[in-house]
Amino acid sequence: MYRIRLHGRGGQGIKTASQILGTAAFYSGYQAQDFPLYGAERRGAPIVAFTRISEKPVLERGPISSPDIILVGDETLLDDPQAAPLCGADESTAVFINSTLETSVLQQQLHLSSSLLKLNLTELCIQHLNKGTVLSTALAAAGARLVGMITLEALLKAVDAELSQQGIGSIQENLNLTKEIFQNLFPVVLKPRKEKTISPSEIILMEQANIEEAAPIILSPGNMILRKTGNWRVQRPEIDYEHCNHCLICYARCPDGAISLGPDDKPEIDYDHCKGCLICAQECPGHFINTVREAGVES
Amino acid sequence: MKTDNKIMLTGNKAAAWGARMAQVEYVPAFPITPQTEIVETLAQWFADGTLQGKFTNMDSEHSMFMAAGAAAATGVRVFTASSSQGILHGMESLYTITGWRVPLVLVNVSRALATPITLEPDHNDVMSTRDCGLIQLHAETCQEIFDFILIGHKIAENPQVCLPVLVNMDGFYLSFTREPVLIPDKKTILKFLPLFEPVYPVFQASQPMARASAVFGGSTYSYFKMQHNLAAHHAEKVFNDATAEFSELFGRTYEPAEKFHMDDADFVFVMSNSFATKGKAAVLKLRQQGIKAGLLKIRLFRPFPVAFIAQALCGHERVAVIDQNLAPGMGGITYPEIVSSLYPYENRPKKIVSVIGGLGGKDITESDFMSIIDHMKNSDSKTPLYLFDQEDQRAFQRIQKIANVKKEVSSS
Ligand code: SF4
Ligand code: SF4
Repeated sequence: MYRIRLHGRGGQGIKTASQILGTAAFYSGYQAQDFPLYGAERRGAPIVAFTRISEKPVLERGPISSPDIILVGDETLLDDPQAAPLCGADESTAVFINSTLETSVLQQQLHLSSSLLKLNLTELCIQHLNKGTVLSTALAAAGARLVGMITLEALLKAVDAELSQQGIGSIQENLNLTKEIFQNLFPVVLKPRKEKTISPSEIILMEQANIEEAAPIILSPGNMILRKTGNWRVQRPEIDYEHCNHCLICYARCPDGAISLGPDDKPEIDYDHCKGCLICAQECPGHFINTVREAGVES
Repeated sequence: MKTDNKIMLTGNKAAAWGARMAQVEYVPAFPITPQTEIVETLAQWFADGTLQGKFTNMDSEHSMFMAAGAAAATGVRVFTASSSQGILHGMESLYTITGWRVPLVLVNVSRALATPITLEPDHNDVMSTRDCGLIQLHAETCQEIFDFILIGHKIAENPQVCLPVLVNMDGFYLSFTREPVLIPDKKTILKFLPLFEPVYPVFQASQPMARASAVFGGSTYSYFKMQHNLAAHHAEKVFNDATAEFSELFGRTYEPAEKFHMDDADFVFVMSNSFATKGKAAVLKLRQQGIKAGLLKIRLFRPFPVAFIAQALCGHERVAVIDQNLAPGMGGITYPEIVSSLYPYENRPKKIVSVIGGLGGKDITESDFMSIIDHMKNSDSKTPLYLFDQEDQRAFQRIQKIANVKKEVSSS
């Protein structure tokens, strides 16, 4: 069985990628299962999805902790401790990263025992689709090629089926993109993973605690500040202070309380937490909040 | 490319397809995570003419279940779906409509109950409907969801049953998981489940009748309740007949509970729903390690197939009933039902332990299954065994550190 884990951000088509991969494997005559994991979060937040491919029925469900192949669509996640895309990678894992960097540079940064592969998918997406933000086809094509058992014919059919089902246009462009990626990569040979014998869990006998600890009581509220959501941003709002008249409408409207008041009631954006929803820019009566693409996100 | 007419579907989509192929005529809906995709899909199909009939957005689950029951009382085929807090909110209506003795299919996408609130599954929501007089079928796979909806309508509409059938699936682990599902052709499905033509009285224009009148004195109330009970029990025979016919037409056989490597098993896990898949994987691995494990997966939970379960478990040394639910102050909800099913038999298992795990979507790992084996072996192990390990403790402590750092609560 191949266990594939895909990482990216909400809006990048990671779930669709896992589905294209699942469908392509299914069309190639294999058993397949795919599954996204998302909580109550939104565009820009780290997303993980899974595809399992097997000759025999898949007797597994839920998240994959020991993946055979990891596909990282967004390299800015590599040092995000919450997303932890490389978690569970070992010498039997192949890690694929959508990156502008050379493999040797990535290897130096990451010190992985896994085999490491890269391709600049974003660049290829820009060439074929005129945009580099949606990676569904590209990441699925990379995964399908690395797995090896998926035929190009099945993959193309899966891209067509999944994108049509979602009402996504530019099918032909996506098919061309698929072909190019398929030609640019080669199946990986994975070191077989040693079957571990099962040993029991370290079960603990829970004891009764005081009510402060026993119930979901938060004695230290206001802790959302610890959750840095700044890297969810695709677009960054920037206040044009030369024109801003301190009306504070942006301050009142920011749904995340990410705008605070500086000296002279000057609105200040907290970029550690601003999620880039751009409501402030919409609401500013004089349009004094500019929107700028975040570095690392291609247009 | 060998694909038959299988398509990759999430559990939710498989449920929508079940309703579609059953040609349901009325769907009252109220969305709730993780069920939303079901009603969204059906809304689309009613809007674009794929399905003929009426789809209505309701203002709550309470009115949704009432509308479902009322529509069923007019003799149309009804489908609806909910989850978790929605089930609780509609609970009064569930008791009401089962008492009306009307047929419909209701899908519950299991999600653990607040408080604390979560989106991930366990079975306290579906277990809360245990006593309200529904028929319950629990699905492990997306295929079972689809099939159980067809079988469900057939049981519900049987004149000797006339009760709502609840089909249960786990949120996330099934609702959002895609796997290949075989959708049989319409003609064969119609053979199994013809269009609904009730042979009993239904509400019709200009033909006044009443349902659900008030009764006093106890005797009349008792009579109807006991009839309800008889119908629920009879549903087991109807289930067996329906699944036999289903097997003949479609080739998939559904007993009230599935026996997985049971024949020579010394250690048996009793499970239900999607985590049974994990249990099966563990059984295969344990067997590789020389431990003769087996698994009994309960499909029909109401009526409880007492004799079938007793027959399946008797003769095996050790049994662990894994409940993904918790009745605080007692333990697992299905455990006493299994024990009481086995009590009359002399060759009942020597040891029947209760295990509680998978709460709020917590994984049940291979290692947990090994711990359960140890627990069954150990002669003085206390039951229940609660699956909570060092790693869980650490995960909890990380969160607790953030939430609870203030040690003194100010009195002002
Ligand atoms: S984009 Fe503006 S409104 Fe949105 S979170 Fe950032 S500061 Fe707040
Ligand atoms: S809404 Fe515009 S003008 Fe008003 S304070 Fe914000 S940036 Fe300045």
